[in-house]
Amino acid sequence: MTSTKWNDMSLERKIISLPASAADAARGAGHPLSFATRAGDFLFVSGLTAVDLATGEPKRGTTASETQQILTNLRELLEDEGSSLKKVVKVNVLLHSMLEAPNMNEVYARFFPDPPPARTVCGARLPDGMKVIIECTALA
Amino acid sequence: MTEKLARSVIEPKNPHLNSSRRNNLPHVPGIRVGDYLFLSGMTPINSMTGERSLGSISEQIRVTLANIRHTLESAGSSLERVVRIHVVLADIAHVPEMEEVFREFFPTHPPARTVWSMQLRFGNGCEIECVALAG
Repeated sequence: MTSTKWNDMSLERKIISLPASAADAARGAGHPLSFATRAGDFLFVSGLTAVDLATGEPKRGTTASETQQILTNLRELLEDEGSSLKKVVKVNVLLHSMLEAPNMNEVYARFFPDPPPARTVCGARLPDGMKVIIECTALA
Repeated sequence: MTEKLARSVIEPKNPHLNSSRRNNLPHVPGIRVGDYLFLSGMTPINSMTGERSLGSISEQIRVTLANIRHTLESAGSSLERVVRIHVVLADIAHVPEMEEVFREFFPTHPPARTVWSMQLRFGNGCEIECVALAG
C-alpha cells in the first residue's frame, strides 16, 4: 500500500475533553484515554462506566441503575460537544452478564429516539467490578 | 453525499506481521475507507519471526502496539492519528499493566478507548483493534 498522502484535505483529529467543572473521573482522568475524539463528521466516545458527574465517584449498582447513570452522563457529554443521543449511529454495550440484558434494555429504550441507533450487546468481564460499559460512535 | 467511497486493503510492510495472509485467514490487516483506517484485531507477534510472542502481559501489549504502529505507518498513518481503540484482555486484572504500556505509546492526547476481557485464542494475553485517520 502506498504511504503517499492521498488527499491534501486530510482530516485533523481533535481531542474532546469535558469542561473542568465536570467530574474528571467521568472522562477517565488518570487513565491513558480521551473521553472522546472527533474525526471528520464522527465522534468516537470511550467506553463509559457509571460515574457520578457531580462527585466523580463510581456509582456501582444494579445493571439498570448503572445503565441509567451512564446514559444520563452520555447525553450530557454529547450535548456539551454539540452532538446528542439523537445523533448516535452505533452503540456497543458490554454487560457483566447477558442475563441482565432485559434490565439494561428497559432503561436503554427510554433514552433513545425512535428509530434508535445500531447496537451490539456482549457479555464480558469488565474492569473495577462495574456491571455495564457503554461506548458509541456519533455524528459530530 | 453522492460520491461513492472506495474500499481498499492496507497491509504492514513487514510480511511477518501480515498474520491474516501468512495463515490464510478470511480477513485482511486493515481497510481504508475515505479518511478512515479500520484495523483488524492484532495479537502479539514477533516482528522478526512472525511467531506468537507470549511474554509478560506488559511485553505482549508493547509488542502488539508496536505492530499496530508499524501497520498504521505502512499505510501513511500513525499512532497519533488513532481515534478509537479497543483493548481485549484475557484477564481483566491486567488493566494496570496495560495502562502503563499505553502511556509509553500514547504519552499525550490518547485515543478514545474501551477495555474489557473475554476469551482469546492461542494463549494470547491481549488483542487490540483500532480506528485511525488515514495519513
